[in-house]
Amino acid sequence: MSNADTISLQKGSLEMILLALLEARPRHGYELAKLIESESGNKLQFHVASLYPMLYRLERKGLVEGRWVEKAGERRRRFYRLTPPGRRALGQQRRSWREFAIALNRLTGFSHA
Amino acid sequence: MPDWREYVRGHLPQLHVPPERESEIMAELAAQLDQTYTESLAGGASEADALRRAEAQFANWHALAREIDAAEARFAARLEPSHGGMLAGWWPDLRYAGRFLRRNPGFTAVAAITLAFGIGANTAVFTMVDPVALRSLPYHDAGQLMAIETRKAQQPELEPWTSILDLRDMRAGAGAFSAIAGISPLWNVVLTGLGDAQQLTALYVSADFFRLLGVQPALGRAFRPDEDNGTQPSHVVMLSDSYWQRQFGGRAGAIGASLALDNASYTVVGVLPAAFRYEGEPLAGTAGEVDIWFPLSANPLAASPRGLRFLKLVGRLKAGVSPERSGHQMRALAATLAQKYPATNRGFAFDVQPLRAQVTGRSRVAMFLLLGTAGFVLLMACANVANLLLARAAARHKEIAVRAALGASRFRLLRQFLTESFCLAAAGGTLGLVVAFAGLEFLKAAAPASLVRAQDVHLDFRALAFACAAVLLCAVAAGLPPAWHIVRNDIESTLRGSGRSLTAGHHGLRAALVVVQVAAALALLAGAGLLIRSFERLLDVDPGFQGRNLVTISTQMPAAARTPAQRTAMYRLIHDRLLAVPGVVDAAAVSRLPLMGMNLSARVFIEGRSTPGEPGADVEYRAATPNYFSTMGIPLRAGRVFDDRDDANAAPIALINETMARRFWPGADPVGKRLKLGDNPALAPWITVIGVVGDVRHAGLDTEPFAEIYRPYAASPLGAPALVIRTAADARPLVGALSARVRSVSAEVPAYNVWLMQDLVDRSTAQRRFVMWLLSAFALTALLLAAVGVYGTVAQLVTQRTPEIGLRMALGASPAAALMLALRQGVRLAAVGIAIGAAAAAALAQLMRKMLFEVQPLDPAAFAAAALVLAAFAALASYIPARKAAQIDPLGALRRDS
Repeated sequence: MSNADTISLQKGSLEMILLALLEARPRHGYELAKLIESESGNKLQFHVASLYPMLYRLERKGLVEGRWVEKAGERRRRFYRLTPPGRRALGQQRRSWREFAIALNRLTGFSHA
Repeated sequence: MPDWREYVRGHLPQLHVPPERESEIMAELAAQLDQTYTESLAGGASEADALRRAEAQFANWHALAREIDAAEARFAARLEPSHGGMLAGWWPDLRYAGRFLRRNPGFTAVAAITLAFGIGANTAVFTMVDPVALRSLPYHDAGQLMAIETRKAQQPELEPWTSILDLRDMRAGAGAFSAIAGISPLWNVVLTGLGDAQQLTALYVSADFFRLLGVQPALGRAFRPDEDNGTQPSHVVMLSDSYWQRQFGGRAGAIGASLALDNASYTVVGVLPAAFRYEGEPLAGTAGEVDIWFPLSANPLAASPRGLRFLKLVGRLKAGVSPERSGHQMRALAATLAQKYPATNRGFAFDVQPLRAQVTGRSRVAMFLLLGTAGFVLLMACANVANLLLARAAARHKEIAVRAALGASRFRLLRQFLTESFCLAAAGGTLGLVVAFAGLEFLKAAAPASLVRAQDVHLDFRALAFACAAVLLCAVAAGLPPAWHIVRNDIESTLRGSGRSLTAGHHGLRAALVVVQVAAALALLAGAGLLIRSFERLLDVDPGFQGRNLVTISTQMPAAARTPAQRTAMYRLIHDRLLAVPGVVDAAAVSRLPLMGMNLSARVFIEGRSTPGEPGADVEYRAATPNYFSTMGIPLRAGRVFDDRDDANAAPIALINETMARRFWPGADPVGKRLKLGDNPALAPWITVIGVVGDVRHAGLDTEPFAEIYRPYAASPLGAPALVIRTAADARPLVGALSARVRSVSAEVPAYNVWLMQDLVDRSTAQRRFVMWLLSAFALTALLLAAVGVYGTVAQLVTQRTPEIGLRMALGASPAAALMLALRQGVRLAAVGIAIGAAAAAALAQLMRKMLFEVQPLDPAAFAAAALVLAAFAALASYIPARKAAQIDPLGALRRDS
């Protein structure tokens, strides 16, 4: 798979990835960028420049909610958490992907993507 | 460690989101950079490496801003009015506008200062005009107060006065008024017994005068009706607050005090409030202050016949009676009286007008002219700022397009632009108050007292309200045309990707604005030109006497000098003492001085010309000593002047002026002809005309001389002569010595109204001079604003057409042709503006008719001069950018275009 293919795939999936990463607990932008890099074994390397516009887009859609948090001894950071509509959207997207993967599997003889 | 917040601020292009949201986003991006940087350092990277890693995260700031704007688009849409009403989101608009203006300090400063001058000048002029011409009179229910005037149908220019008997008939016969009060001319009375003799200014008024105005005395009481019953003079007076302070130190003990006035004793019964000033005639349009008030019955003319008209009247309408109805009633009454008393009342009508109109009558034209002119200048300032905003808009079309793409409606964008122009106007208004304050101080110092009463003029709540209104007007006038234009044209054209069409479209509006400016400037220049030419003509007018080295002093004979012989002897004494002062060439006396605003008219009956039984013609009457004419420099035209033989015992004689000679003996020699004076010719002696003297402009340089008759002083010695003293050189240093010499004659002889005659001449032109200077200053400002407008438009045009000009030059056009191309643009705009302005100026000139003197409203010289000056300025303003066009490098210009 070429680099360009990965990027286009990533773009479509970034929304779901962010929602999924926020499912467990609220996180800030830097942490999200780090997680995407490390969890994907550096395979998925998002440019930070597209992370923030995506977060804002999700926020405007009402799927996530950002809040400034200031902890003692730490810098002030904006934490994002999943909203109930975000949770529903994540479930919906997971189902779509699962169905898409199954269909892909059948058509390409590709197993365990 | 870098300041990442500053770093982001410096790199991220302006977002199209509310300011607080933008600040939040910048903080978040800065946090990202900061954390990347510190963790890289913690991981062992060098500082340069850490810096590079952090910075690499946002390599393309423009793309980032675009993506954020797109992501935030829903937010922008949320601000739309459909969600929040007309006013939702005004705060972000305001902050956004504030930021835009802060980021363009040069533009903001120029625009705000331009508006500051416009708003400041207008506020200053408004504050000056307001108390005189706009504010309602400071009396109870002032709308019901009417001025009643007696007018002579054939001589409407005569000052309207009413006789005391006509006043009584009006009171009896006019049911429309609940009260009518008579007011005497300004009277000079002499106070003795309290130190030096003092001259006081007095008015004699009907007893109900103060009640009619709704004025309560601050101390004591007003006159009682029985103190003004017309038969018995009452010896009571009321004091003005300022005189009470001056003479009695504001002590309540003044009530009941006794004052020796004109050698009779009067008791003080009341003191008027400090704020009280009678604004109507005979004070209207003057700075005159009254010290002391008498009941009308105490006036020496209180028992005068019907033909002696010496009163101004003010009446209060009954509730529910219209001014028109009262006017009908008064006209009917005048007709009745004319039938009943034909000798005195035929040809006279009673006129009713609101008191306000009488108060402002003399200065209203000048006031509104100044206010209108200042308004013109403000509009031009707005046009200039509109032009600046349009020029800025050309640089902002991308921003506008993005905002439109993000869902901002036209209304929303329009509001944003208007918010910006409002912020500019508000800044201009704030600065403008400073300008207004300075301007007012200047106006107070420079304006004649008849136009500005310094004590009434200060920046108050009304001035502030006016300035606020001016700010709103500026915001709309300067902001709306460009905003509407941009919003209408730009969204489509910019989205189509054509920036060029946008600026070209702007050019049309900018050109229109410049045309308006040029037109307004021409109207003002032509108006100023007309006033300047009027003033020139006025200065050329011969007042009829030699004003240089001439002093006038008004005085009064002591009570002891009652008979003509005693008064003549007293005058001799004063005359001789004055002649003893070194430098005095001659001294004379007259009953009324020129240019002092005081005249006395008499009826004249001409032998062989007037019809017995008909009322005689009105002429001005004066008594003069034999050397009055030589002292004043009034030329003798025919016959002889008075000499010492013409005393009280000689046969009655008179001198007349040229106007009278022309009017009553056209083409004939009046010397030796006979006439009679007075209301009852049958009883009066024949008076022989012994000579004709030159005309004197007694009422003012701009008023044609009246028919005048002079009688010898010795034949009718006056109680209050005005002295005229001719000196060999400049009289100014002698003034003190001369008035001291007059007072030295007796403790009862005052010296007041001490003037250099030349100062009186200058004072009579002061109002015209002031209006002319102010209008000229406004016109000059307008000229500069118009030139700036032309310059800006042509400069923009040259910039915009540089590629075209470059191409033409590459194809062989000469630099001169390029210069002409640009120059033509400016000159064409100016020509259109001048043509429209000429029409506006013609309309303005008609309004100014009253201010003009011996100059036609469509004076070709004034119009031509204005057009030439304006054309020259426009050409110069176009030449500067046009020269740039001639210096265009064809290759560079073409490369720039590709």
